[in-house]
Amino acid sequence: MNDPIHVLTLFFFNIVLVNTPLLYGTVGEIVVEKSGSLDLGVEGTMAVGAIFGYLAGCAANSLLVGLVVSFLAAGLCGLLFALLTVSLQANQNVTGLTITTFGLGLYFFVGKGMGERWPAMTSADSLVKGFSALELPLLSRLPILGKVFFSQNGLVYLGIAIAALVWWYLNFTKTGLRLRAVGENPGAADSVGVNILLYKYIHLIAGSGIMGLGGFYMALYMSGSFEGSNCWINGYGWIAIALVIFANWCPLLAILGTLVFGFFNTLQIYAGPLAGAFPGALGWLNVIPAQLYKALPFLITAIVLVASSVRSREGSGQPAALGLNYFREER
Amino acid sequence: MKNHQPLFHVVKRDHAGPGNQALAYVAAVALALAVGAVLLWVQGVEPITFYKQMLTMGIPGSRYPWRAVENFVRLFVPLLITSMALALAFKMRFWNIGGEGQFIMGAFWAGFAAMKLGDSLPRPAMVLVMAAAGALGGGLYGVFVAALKVRFGTNETLLTLMLNYVALYFLQFFAETKTDWNFFLDPESARPKFAKFPPNAQMITVPIGPFNLNLSLVAAAAICVILYIYLNYTKRGYEISVVGDSPNTARYAGMKVGRIVIRTIFLSAALIGLAGAFHVSSAGILSASPTNDVGWTGIVVAWLAKLNTAGIVAASLLITVLQFGCQAASAVYPSIDANFANLLQGVILFTVLAADFFTRFKLVPRSGKEMAK
Repeated sequence: MNDPIHVLTLFFFNIVLVNTPLLYGTVGEIVVEKSGSLDLGVEGTMAVGAIFGYLAGCAANSLLVGLVVSFLAAGLCGLLFALLTVSLQANQNVTGLTITTFGLGLYFFVGKGMGERWPAMTSADSLVKGFSALELPLLSRLPILGKVFFSQNGLVYLGIAIAALVWWYLNFTKTGLRLRAVGENPGAADSVGVNILLYKYIHLIAGSGIMGLGGFYMALYMSGSFEGSNCWINGYGWIAIALVIFANWCPLLAILGTLVFGFFNTLQIYAGPLAGAFPGALGWLNVIPAQLYKALPFLITAIVLVASSVRSREGSGQPAALGLNYFREER
Repeated sequence: MKNHQPLFHVVKRDHAGPGNQALAYVAAVALALAVGAVLLWVQGVEPITFYKQMLTMGIPGSRYPWRAVENFVRLFVPLLITSMALALAFKMRFWNIGGEGQFIMGAFWAGFAAMKLGDSLPRPAMVLVMAAAGALGGGLYGVFVAALKVRFGTNETLLTLMLNYVALYFLQFFAETKTDWNFFLDPESARPKFAKFPPNAQMITVPIGPFNLNLSLVAAAAICVILYIYLNYTKRGYEISVVGDSPNTARYAGMKVGRIVIRTIFLSAALIGLAGAFHVSSAGILSASPTNDVGWTGIVVAWLAKLNTAGIVAASLLITVLQFGCQAASAVYPSIDANFANLLQGVILFTVLAADFFTRFKLVPRSGKEMAK
């Protein structure tokens, strides 16, 4: 039990297991922000994806249905955002925050309304199976690394695959490069014939959908047990917004960032066991207050934000037109 | 080449009549209630009876109706002050979404003053000291973001957002750490629990018949009047709107934009801190999550009201009725709670945001000639 290597392996295993929803949220928000929209509705979007994905997945007893429905439900939040900010020129900050308020309101309303009819995850065995560990051949036999990275559930691999795919899309495809042009300078993109409206709509929907998958992951991780006071997403949406900045709007760095933020996130739970397993080297972990670990992702991001603004803007991945609405007649 | 031109131009309107605006609001609230009614009906709750419960807020027929009004005021005052303060920042196009953090800092420092000085100062002095501590705590927490924005162009939306959580966990650290030096906690309790403030640190109430008037309501009303005058009839207020409309114009006119931003954000954050101080001194105790989401809801209110002072009073009343009403009605309907208010709030704001478009822009059909091109 108290074998130090075992504790350490479990700690790193949990960093990946617990924090993968952050990766989904972050990659989704990167897609959205690259189109020039600052969507502060990640928390609400993930909540909507989570609850509808879970309920549909249970009803159909199918992981795939859960994934698709969570993507679509969250995508609808993105569509709403696009409708209001792209077509109707509403303020992005206010719209995003309202999506969070609305999404969380809907989450609790649906969850509480289900009452006794709330399905237990054990009743849908394909969800349980879909979330159980999938050991990759050969790789999973590696010491420590095999357990940490190659014995995770399928949704972890899916998340990493999506991150890699989005990275490739943004950097090496024509549409991806055009998308970045839309986020940097929509006026210029428009003048060479890029359909700004279409690009923004599609990427807001797709990005929000990816966030929704993260919500669905969270639902499965929480074994689908609904609590009236705490949402499953539990602030992950806000951390994802922070992580986008930390990762400098790059999906591959987002994987790394997820591990870094996840490290602190998981440390608050594992501080005790780690200090017990390595009393000499890590005994001080017990003294650090848990709240510091919770605050660290935000604190680090705040420092990154300030530091990157103090330095010149060279090399920043932040789209130049982030948060600004595009109005053609003012081009 | 085929030409895909939409059938309409979108053109900016000069201004829209107030009649249209009012109509948009009535429509928004009606639509929200209608959407809510459908959802309630799906859940098996009779919408009309529920709405009756919600809008009367359980006050008639209650055994202590005045108590309910007092609780309503306690919910209303922090939201009103916070919304006014946020509108001040938004007028300048400074995206202060750090209301939560500034509120928490205000509450924390007011609580600090209460625990340290509560036994040695008389009540009126104590309430004032708490208000000052809260305003200063909140103000400083906001103003350094403004300074960074002015000096380095730091993105204030994201930075204030991050600082909300830093403040939250800072407060939670004091809420959950049981040690000798932590004077915030109740020494009697074995588990960490905030101690009640000394009696002198509780907000003054003036009994009017059966109703105890919370003085923070009077203060909030005074703040509204003063801010209205400040924004509309003083040079400084005028400077805020010029900077908001165009910082370059302000610069050409010789205004010191940086100084105006810092001054205004300090005022905005200090007012939010003050709201936090009022909240804890009315409650008589700190809590680990004191804000009741006013930092977020305040943004909704300010936007609903188009940053207009009288509008903010009306909108924060409306939102408080929704929230307090849903809480009251949830006593009868267990499956519904204050979150239903958030849902309604969301639909109202979505509708208003959509309706705004038609007051700011108009659609002009393309002429036939243009189409033929």
